[in-house]
Amino acid sequence: MLGTTLIILAVFLAVFAVIAIVDIVTAKKRKEVYRVKSSATAYLMLLPAIILAFLFILLPILYSLGYAFTDYYLLKPNDIKFIDIQNFKQFFAELGERGTLYHAIKNTVIFVVGVVPLQIGLALGLAIFVNRPGKGAKIFKVCFFAPVVISLSVTSYLWLQILSPSETGLLNSILGVFGAEPRDWLRDPNSAMICIIILSAWQGCGYQMLIFLSGLSNIRKELYEAASLDGASAWKKFTTVTWPGLRSTFVYIIITVFIGACRILTQPMLMTGYQDHTVTLSYYMYTQGYTYRWVGYSSAVAFLMTIFIGGVTFLQRHLLREKK
Amino acid sequence: MDKNLIKDLPNFKLNKKPASHTVKEVIYHIVGIILSLIFLFPIIYMIATSTKSESAYAASAGSISMFLPDFTNLGTALDNYKSVFTNYGIWRYALNSFLYAGIVIVLNVLINGLAGYVMAKLVFPGKRLLSFMIIFLIVVPVETSIIPLYSIVKVMLGLKQTASVIGIILPASISIFNIFLFMQFFQGVPKEYEEAARIDGANTMGVFFKVILPLSKPIIATVAVFCFIGVWNDYLWPSMILPAPGEGEWPLYPIQSALTTIQSIEGITTGEIMASLIVTSIPIFVIYVAAQKYIVQGFGTAGLKM
Amino acid sequence: MKKLFRTIVAMLMVVLSLFSLVACGGGNTESDSGEVDTDGNTIVKILFHVDKSSTEGQAYQKRIDAFNLEYKDRKIKASPSFKARSAGASGYETELLNNQVEGTLADIVTFDAPNTASYANSGLLYDISSLIDAETQADFYSLNKYNGKLYGLPIQESSAGFFYNKKIFSAAGINVSGYTVENPWTFDQFKQVCQKLKDYGKIPVDMRIDATKDEMAPYLLYPIIYAAGGSFTSADGYTATGYFNSPQTASGFQFIKDLISAGYTSYSIGATDFFTEKVGMYLSSGWTIPDLDNKYRDYFASRDDWGLLPYPQGSAKASATGSWSFGITANHHPDKSASIELIKYLTSPESSKAITDATGMIPVRKSVNPNYQVGSPEHTLLKQLELTGRERPVTVAYPTFTTSFNQVISGLGTGNVSDLLANATNTLQTEMNRLQQLR
Repeated sequence: MLGTTLIILAVFLAVFAVIAIVDIVTAKKRKEVYRVKSSATAYLMLLPAIILAFLFILLPILYSLGYAFTDYYLLKPNDIKFIDIQNFKQFFAELGERGTLYHAIKNTVIFVVGVVPLQIGLALGLAIFVNRPGKGAKIFKVCFFAPVVISLSVTSYLWLQILSPSETGLLNSILGVFGAEPRDWLRDPNSAMICIIILSAWQGCGYQMLIFLSGLSNIRKELYEAASLDGASAWKKFTTVTWPGLRSTFVYIIITVFIGACRILTQPMLMTGYQDHTVTLSYYMYTQGYTYRWVGYSSAVAFLMTIFIGGVTFLQRHLLREKK
Repeated sequence: MDKNLIKDLPNFKLNKKPASHTVKEVIYHIVGIILSLIFLFPIIYMIATSTKSESAYAASAGSISMFLPDFTNLGTALDNYKSVFTNYGIWRYALNSFLYAGIVIVLNVLINGLAGYVMAKLVFPGKRLLSFMIIFLIVVPVETSIIPLYSIVKVMLGLKQTASVIGIILPASISIFNIFLFMQFFQGVPKEYEEAARIDGANTMGVFFKVILPLSKPIIATVAVFCFIGVWNDYLWPSMILPAPGEGEWPLYPIQSALTTIQSIEGITTGEIMASLIVTSIPIFVIYVAAQKYIVQGFGTAGLKM
Repeated sequence: MKKLFRTIVAMLMVVLSLFSLVACGGGNTESDSGEVDTDGNTIVKILFHVDKSSTEGQAYQKRIDAFNLEYKDRKIKASPSFKARSAGASGYETELLNNQVEGTLADIVTFDAPNTASYANSGLLYDISSLIDAETQADFYSLNKYNGKLYGLPIQESSAGFFYNKKIFSAAGINVSGYTVENPWTFDQFKQVCQKLKDYGKIPVDMRIDATKDEMAPYLLYPIIYAAGGSFTSADGYTATGYFNSPQTASGFQFIKDLISAGYTSYSIGATDFFTEKVGMYLSSGWTIPDLDNKYRDYFASRDDWGLLPYPQGSAKASATGSWSFGITANHHPDKSASIELIKYLTSPESSKAITDATGMIPVRKSVNPNYQVGSPEHTLLKQLELTGRERPVTVAYPTFTTSFNQVISGLGTGNVSDLLANATNTLQTEMNRLQQLR
């Protein structure tokens, strides 16, 4: 392992050196001036971050990508063979059979399409709601953030109780007052993903609310005053002042929520277990890698997932970014 | 940089007419309380359950009384808390967590702050590659398994026994996202501050520590709070790499790892589990409430332009 | 200004010194290669899957202490470590496998019985067939065998059955005193009791069909399939087709589906509903005994209020068994004699009794004879283990067996048995074929 690591380190340093040399050579053209002393200070100050990032971020990524092309089986860690693109072939073969993998992709898409607008909408609504002076708003702000810090296992357990399929289940008994039949919310393929979407948005939106709040705090109040003088309605103020002012915050939030949503794992794991109607791509990957011990194959799935999510986020970033 | 930004936030929800003002205020607070209940019910449930014995808990399962304390036995309401402290000694693990979090916060701010400053303010060959990597690593969410990280810490660096604490601290001390946050924040700091210090004869490091860091309280608070929450809530990684406590030794586990172990001990009641969860959630809430103002400022001034 | 610079240098030194610590850590780790300590004792390292402070951990520690005292003169010393498996699905296993890669694998490790096949197949466990004599082997209720070779000795045994609420049964006029392990009830008699409970207005039985997220449902329900004459895999564990989807297997699952269709059980029974007297019977293992004895006094004042019934039986006989076991690892210590001494000591009748006295599970050795009172739940479990205990399928694809089994159980409410089994068999067989390549 140390040997491989040193080779990776050498490659990394070589790439860096080449780029640095190109930078120095083309410095004049780009009207940059490099000073030896200042550059040395810069490298020195970057050194701790680079060492740590190399060891704990870059290396695991590269190893993981490497495993995608091997037959790494968790129980045979001393016997890893390079097997070309076998794992990728298997991925597409399995996809063609419309088995669990197919469901995993379908459910992940449903989840992303559902949770991204819901969570962002909730977060924005709450942010606008608490964005005012006064003790009340301050306390509400803390309350809305509460689910973010409570461990997922507690909230999942609680939601299991609420969504309990029995007549005495909390949701069923409330709906029962209106004459609705009790339902098995999480075992019913029609409602399971919706429940998971709602509880995920509920759990996560407090964090995005904070970020929206900081975006709101950056909007100058003179803009609102000017709008008031023009006699603008609250809705008009929202569309002409608030929304444009939140644009860069919004781009950031949509990208991060999208990435988080694509990786959903814990909620279906704790709420339903490995079932076709709720399995997600991350859950599939986890099960293949840890439970079934196919680390190589699981890494290949991760590789494809990374390419897909990365592609979409770059596209989002490109489409949503403010044009200069 | 304006610390008063928060105070004069746009106040467009308020109406100027006093009578309807009061009505609106009342409605606002009622709506707020209802919304708060929706977000607080796990905590209400945890507190209610933590006061119950196992059969009282079982009796209330699935009905509205699971959100209410056991009124018939209020005298014994705190028994679960007592046993959490006396039988399971969770304060030692809490102390560990505070220690780890403290070290991680200091290292994280220093290491990522320095890197962010360099990326924001200095010119050096190879900068383009690093900026690209920062954006790339944030935007492309590389799915990695925990297996290679484990091998790096355990096999390559050989962190075993007490030394594996370093395996908790160092990986948590680097965060590309925090470098990005610092970078964005420092880009907003006007050049004049630094130039003034330089005229006084400060070198780059001096400028960073004497001028930049004191200006960066909001972003430092933001990074610190999320570091704290991260370290405090993490259980999987620490329980994987830390050795289990040996004979008479001080345990190395942080609080959440200890909790997952305690929860699996036979004979522990749901009430005790909930009591331990509440006790361990308190520090997060205190710290969050105290730093909330700075977090909003921190994200706000950093700008978050991707 | 200089002062500041010095501070920074100091800070960086801290970071760098952390790294040098790392480097040192890499340099002088593991006194593991030396299996003899300074006093000339041979060290036997053993890794347990529970937390040291748990009752079970304490019981192990006591036996280890007793061993060290007794073997002081023979210069063997056991050195235990504890790694609770609660830390996520793969915590304990990851520890094992990484120790294997590092070459620091303990001499003796614990493992869950269904993992026997995978661990033996991957060369993690050492074949101890010739090291444990036949007489000793015959004294165990079950053994961890794979391909005819012995790879482990169970630590303690488990069995499961139907806990029932005697108050409800007598109020509903149901007499089950005739159903014993020696004279078990049939599937039809089981349904008749359910019907009476339903008529009385109680939910008849909690079959735990909702517990499909982990090993719980497979552990509790597999005996029913066996009892119906069904099976899951071939003897070598590499074929599921023709076994998992056989008509007998289907009839076993159909029995469970019938219970759901008739309203005798459902997915919606709350985890504590039996304890609060909403349900008549509750399928569970021995660990429910202390809960009923201690935690729910408000409902079950004494053992007169509840009892335990064995599994109903069909054309074959089966009941749940299996728990964690000790195995000697195929690590770099070629001389296993000291390890054998320790594993024999820890599974001796004396240790077996001491450990199960602490945990409330069943001793592994027939010769222990714990003198349970006839008719007591412990006695029922022990008798059942002796007469009908049958282990879960031995296959390297066990993890996939678990998820497939769970998917079938979870689908019984709406799906039909043959479709569900076809699907599960297909998944399991595909996985087995994949594993065949590793053979």
